[in-house]
Amino acid sequence: MFWRLIRGALFRQKGKMLMIAFTIALGASLATAMLNVMLDVGDKVNQELKTYGANIQVIPKEASLLGDLYGLGEDSGAAERYLRESELGSLKTIFWAFNIVDFAPYLNVRAQLLDESPDAAKTGGEEIRLVGAWFAKHLDLPTGESVDTGMRNMKSWWEVDGEWLTDADEDAAMAGSLLAERAGLAAGDRIRVGAQGGTRELTITGIFNAGSDEDERLYVPLKTAQAMAGRAGVVSSVEVSALTTPDNELSRRAAQNPKSLSTKEWETWYCTAYVSAICYQIEEALGDSVAKPIRQVAESEGAILEKTQLLMLLITILSLAGSALGISNLVTAGVMERSREIGLLKALGANNAPVSWLVLTEVLLTGAVGGAAGYFAGLGFAQIIGHTVFGSAISIKPMVIPLVGLLVLAVILAGSIPSIRLLLSLRPAEVLHGR
Amino acid sequence: MNLLEIKGISKIYGNVKALQNVDLEVKRGEWLAVMGPSGSGKTTMMNIIGCMDKPTEGAVILDGKDISKESARSLTATRREKIGLIFQQFHLIHYLTAVENIMVAQYYHSMPDEDEALRALDRVGLLERAKHLPSQLSGGEQQRVCIARALINYPMLILADEPTGNLDEANEGIVMDLFRQLHEEGSTIVVVTHDPEVAEEAQRTVVLEHGRVARIAYNVIAPPIIL
Repeated sequence: MFWRLIRGALFRQKGKMLMIAFTIALGASLATAMLNVMLDVGDKVNQELKTYGANIQVIPKEASLLGDLYGLGEDSGAAERYLRESELGSLKTIFWAFNIVDFAPYLNVRAQLLDESPDAAKTGGEEIRLVGAWFAKHLDLPTGESVDTGMRNMKSWWEVDGEWLTDADEDAAMAGSLLAERAGLAAGDRIRVGAQGGTRELTITGIFNAGSDEDERLYVPLKTAQAMAGRAGVVSSVEVSALTTPDNELSRRAAQNPKSLSTKEWETWYCTAYVSAICYQIEEALGDSVAKPIRQVAESEGAILEKTQLLMLLITILSLAGSALGISNLVTAGVMERSREIGLLKALGANNAPVSWLVLTEVLLTGAVGGAAGYFAGLGFAQIIGHTVFGSAISIKPMVIPLVGLLVLAVILAGSIPSIRLLLSLRPAEVLHGR
Repeated sequence: MNLLEIKGISKIYGNVKALQNVDLEVKRGEWLAVMGPSGSGKTTMMNIIGCMDKPTEGAVILDGKDISKESARSLTATRREKIGLIFQQFHLIHYLTAVENIMVAQYYHSMPDEDEALRALDRVGLLERAKHLPSQLSGGEQQRVCIARALINYPMLILADEPTGNLDEANEGIVMDLFRQLHEEGSTIVVVTHDPEVAEEAQRTVVLEHGRVARIAYNVIAPPIIL
């Protein structure tokens, strides 16, 4: 009889039940879309943010000490300490290798722009900051894999007038816009540059505008810089662009002193892509190095990610709250319309519990249909958001299914509270006899 | 032997005294009519006898048990076990068929039994209309379904509120025949009505005015009380 009552109520009140199902479907679809995007957005936003540069800098340990003690920067020349270029491939062999999107080594060389250049108009004898780097270096890793990495991917926002350097252009250079302006350089010009290891004639392939003090520098392939400095096979620093998880209390404690963590905490930290954990593993891979997060970048990334996720969480909560309100109105209106029927059931001897269960079952069944429809619609919305905002598909997370199920259940129960209270307050004498 | 004893009950809604110090006894097997103008307290009395309301003062003893102080849950159980309700508006569930409407009363009483529900419909002459929805039945037929529903759990007391109020003369006759039949079988019936002709069918008529019992009339043509 119970199911006859349910069936009768569902099929003979199709309009109202469809409205309830639609309301739940709307909430469930938004929740599904937002939860899927939220769980996937970390990688997506991280990927987006990687286009804005490195978030980890690796320097020799002793240079770092001098920096910490005396405030000497890597360009000061005070610390003639280097990292070995041959070890750099091991960056892609650490536990978080797949999170390291790009990296580029740099060698800073004190150099002079000489006036004996073939073009007499060029300014001579000016001290400049010459930097050797990888631009799009092809590396064959010890694991048998290969990778292309360097500045070109990491400095994708640079505006280059002319051509980007390639690692094979050993007699070419790229000049920063401020240096080029001061020295009157343009793409295609030839300059002579002198350094400790000798003098070299270079062709300017492009003038770049980075919007930072990099615009004062002259970039050359790493091999050229090593030759000019007379220091083969070394680099001054490495910039690393890594996908990271936003910091939390654990990662902050670990960043200060990993040894302060318990074994379990240490394992959790080590196996989570916190920037401090990645730095720790880079230091393990590169001998006598110190890897430091570029705090402004790392924290900004974390903040953006957290805010994006918070925004989506709020949208999810608001959409579900909206659904709960909608359900509340619809079910309460339904109970009011059916007050005589409910009063009759009570008059015939039904207690509050079976009548409440009857109404709740109707709404739960309707909600299950609406929730299922909403889930699949939500998967579609997630893909639309993925392609529109991030330009790629959102991966479907199976854990969203139970989450949405629980949320729909909570929304239905919360939305049904006012109607159940109304139902409990209905007295058969009042609804059947008006008193 | 009394099935129902009402002792000095009053019902007060705010400043309105719907019933004032009413005494009444209904014997087992008696057919009683309650008459009175609008606002005289008929509906209030029916609600109290039907365990749908409680008096402000006084006692209501049904089948030897004072129900005037019982909880709502206990009153529901008493109503379910001992009372069959017949309404002027029929109050059938519109999306259930005639037989299903009867089975609802069985469901909340004990266990639905379709065969028994069909026999109840047969008794009121509606077996062939068992699968019809209320909207497919005439007013008289709906009232007969309502009577079958009231009888399905073998109540001690049949309480009818204006049972012919919404019926034409022909259907009124059919329904009154059913009441006569039930009375002859020993059912205790309390009918609240405006209609003197309906009241005359009962053995005794209680007339309420301003919430008090104004007079009691014994109808000579009514069949005897079966004790």
